[in-house]
Amino acid sequence: MTTDPLTDYQAEAPVAFEELAEAEKERASGIGPWRLAWRRLRRNRTALAFGVLFLLLVAVALLAPVYADQVAHTTPERNRIADTLHIGGKEIEVVSFEGVPTGPTWHGQYFLGADGNGRDVMVRLLYGARNSLFIGIFASILTTFLAVTFGTLAGYFRGFVDAIISRALDVLWAFPVLLLGVALGVSLATGGLHIGPLTIENNSIWIPTLIIGVVNVVYLARPVRGQILSLREREFVEAARAQGAGNVRIMFGELLPNLMSTVLVFFPILVANAVLLEAALSFLGAGVQPPHPSWGTMISDGLRFIVSSPTQTIAPGLMLVLTVLSLNIFGEGVRDAFDPRARVRLER
Amino acid sequence: MQYFSRRLFGLLSVLVAAMAIAACGGGDDDDDSGGGGGGSSEATPSGRTGGEATFAYASFPDYLDPALSYTVAGTQALYQTNMPLLTYKLAKGEEGATLIPALAEALPEVSDDGTTYTLTLREGLKYSDGTPVKANDFEHTIKRVINLESGGTSFYTGTIQGAEKYLEAGKAKGDISGITADDATRKITIKLTEPSGQFPYILALWFSGLVPGDTPFENMTKTPPPGVGPYKITEVRTGRGFTMERNDQYPELPGLPPGKLDKITINQVTNDSRAITDVLQNKEDYFDDPPTGDALREFREKSGDRWRPEVTNSTYYFFLNNRVKPFDDIRVRQAVNYAVDKRALARLFGGTLEPDCNFLPPGMQGYQKIDPCPYGDPKAAPNVEKAKQLIQEAGAAGKSVSVYGNDEELTRQVTAYLADVLEQIGLKPQLRIVNGDVYFQTIGNQNTKAAAGFANWYQDYPHPYNFMFLIDGKSIQNTNNQNFGNVDDPEINRMLVEANKKDLKEAAADYAAVDKRLVEQGYIVAYGHRILPFLLSDRLDYKTALFHPVIQAVYPTFALKG
Repeated sequence: MTTDPLTDYQAEAPVAFEELAEAEKERASGIGPWRLAWRRLRRNRTALAFGVLFLLLVAVALLAPVYADQVAHTTPERNRIADTLHIGGKEIEVVSFEGVPTGPTWHGQYFLGADGNGRDVMVRLLYGARNSLFIGIFASILTTFLAVTFGTLAGYFRGFVDAIISRALDVLWAFPVLLLGVALGVSLATGGLHIGPLTIENNSIWIPTLIIGVVNVVYLARPVRGQILSLREREFVEAARAQGAGNVRIMFGELLPNLMSTVLVFFPILVANAVLLEAALSFLGAGVQPPHPSWGTMISDGLRFIVSSPTQTIAPGLMLVLTVLSLNIFGEGVRDAFDPRARVRLER
Repeated sequence: MQYFSRRLFGLLSVLVAAMAIAACGGGDDDDDSGGGGGGSSEATPSGRTGGEATFAYASFPDYLDPALSYTVAGTQALYQTNMPLLTYKLAKGEEGATLIPALAEALPEVSDDGTTYTLTLREGLKYSDGTPVKANDFEHTIKRVINLESGGTSFYTGTIQGAEKYLEAGKAKGDISGITADDATRKITIKLTEPSGQFPYILALWFSGLVPGDTPFENMTKTPPPGVGPYKITEVRTGRGFTMERNDQYPELPGLPPGKLDKITINQVTNDSRAITDVLQNKEDYFDDPPTGDALREFREKSGDRWRPEVTNSTYYFFLNNRVKPFDDIRVRQAVNYAVDKRALARLFGGTLEPDCNFLPPGMQGYQKIDPCPYGDPKAAPNVEKAKQLIQEAGAAGKSVSVYGNDEELTRQVTAYLADVLEQIGLKPQLRIVNGDVYFQTIGNQNTKAAAGFANWYQDYPHPYNFMFLIDGKSIQNTNNQNFGNVDDPEINRMLVEANKKDLKEAAADYAAVDKRLVEQGYIVAYGHRILPFLLSDRLDYKTALFHPVIQAVYPTFALKG
């Protein structure tokens, strides 16, 4: 495995010569890099398919309130433990006297069955998708913002600024991200977050969003720093300086636009990682707080009924797999589209 | 050679068999406790002596200090390591509620006016570290409970002369005027502020478990103080478990046998499914938390004769904090009572909860079934419309309320249910799930201002006041408060004072009246009493293991199969 000296991430062995030749030909054709990337992505049908799958998952999540209201006639928090349903001519106890919830009815109500509190698993699955995807996407946006900011400052100014920021990132890097997330999650789960005028209630999904957004900064900040270290030595930066451009103009006008491709390549993978981390934290009780649903809490709650009512665990697990898989494969497609020579991995 | 070997083998086999028979015979022929855990009513201390066992606890004890602990996880262990002057007969049912002397020579002599108790410490007692036990250690023991603002403080400040003043003075080494002791004669004299029918039971609480006179006035969980008991705690792994070993200094006490097992290792296992599987596979020998869901079903199917349901004197309820709006309004409290579906909660507990309207459990003297229940039949559907109407009348619609529960199995689900009920009737619940190890300390701290939440109570002793102190205005504290709802009803307080002066049989009707008023005023939302499955691994002798009505699992009666 070769190490690219200009970046902090490891690159796999170069691609086949034929692919490289094809990429060089495309570059030489004079098409802009964005159009070129889009053309390459369009040709990658696997990546596109998984991209569409992800969009479908997002659409389904957005339609959760419609499903809950129009089809299931319930809410994700509604407990109907002692209720009896009449479905398909049969009387069904939502939760039996022995505490066992009903399995899938394959009808509008309790399509995938109920959980131990008599809540509709399908409704919670869809609302869980909303929460998990919300946290995944917004946490990644926060990660990107912080990582680009600190990575750019560190890479551009170097010296003392770089030393401070890099050491801070090293400290963050040293913590196992799950332990750090659990510690922060547990401490904020009861009292919430109160910093000056900023108040976030303990059961707000902004708490896990902020935690995941912060702990994942290192994944992107170091590659960004590496890119900036390389870009700042390029001719166009020198030219801008010669024309009298200040630091801010150079950073915003020259460097950041050149970072976009890197950010775009990393973003889907960041979202996948964030979704996984959120599920792990929620499973451990340090993420999304009850009664709000999340795939992680659903898996945790469903363990009690893994034999008698396995859909409680299998359904959110499957959704998690599909979401992360679609993001990873689409992310790889985006990476290939922008630069077939580089294979990027988020590593610790 | 061959012939000689066969003869030698046969001789050795006979010798080994003889040794095995001798070992299985047991050494307790002169122990006069009878009966077993499963059949007759008294503990039968048979089963093999020796060996080690591993128990699983769902959560680490709140404290491993007899002055402080107030959860079953803690007290089950501390009953065996720090015995008080009095304790209970090791028997099931009503017989198990009989007091017998433990470290005292005999039951107390009580003066004619009922305010002076005199006991004599047994001679020659030593703590597990070899230190002699002194009569004056009793006062030090009680001082620690009060000085550390333990949850048990009000048991003593409400009964013993000078205890309230000691608390107010705030000086650890001050004096409790109502307790005098003479180390030479081993006599302990306790003067009460007024006669108290429950005081003998207070003497039998684990809070009263003797500790040496130089035990510091601080939480000793990490290094539990020595005591007199069948076991001693030899290692504490905070948050993960602890180890108990047989106490070699334990004397022969009539009716209180020494431990059979040499060593008991207790591990925290938060996942009850895993704990049940471990017990079924004999990797753990006892699990202190009743299983739920598939684990309960699996255990019922696979455990055969290794489990039985034990009806407990317990109450499961939701507290409603009278000091936090909107629960200072009777209409709001009654609304919650109307809306809670006790049938639903019984199902959440997998059929191990008997729905009821009363706060006192049916096995407790003073219990009189409240019939009809003011909020409807506990086994029928709730009246949610009435609840909503009351909320509107009180102007409480949309009010935010904090709802507390802990992260243990079932508590989380029960609390989520309560939050949903409050949402349905028009309130705005903010659910807060706290780690089980610190839950009761959190809701018992006035600064938390917990508006509503999960609570339960298992009897400390077989007297109705043991439940009523949870709603007695006198017992409200700033920290380690057990009156989570801060119930302070003058009429209830007055009735309890009067009831406490009387003999239990006379006072039963008074306690029933308190129970009724408590429910009518909606101060708490009682929803049922627990039936606990008592389960052991196949390694342990199930017939001898005792589940006591007060102490619960009695570890000295746990023994490996012979």
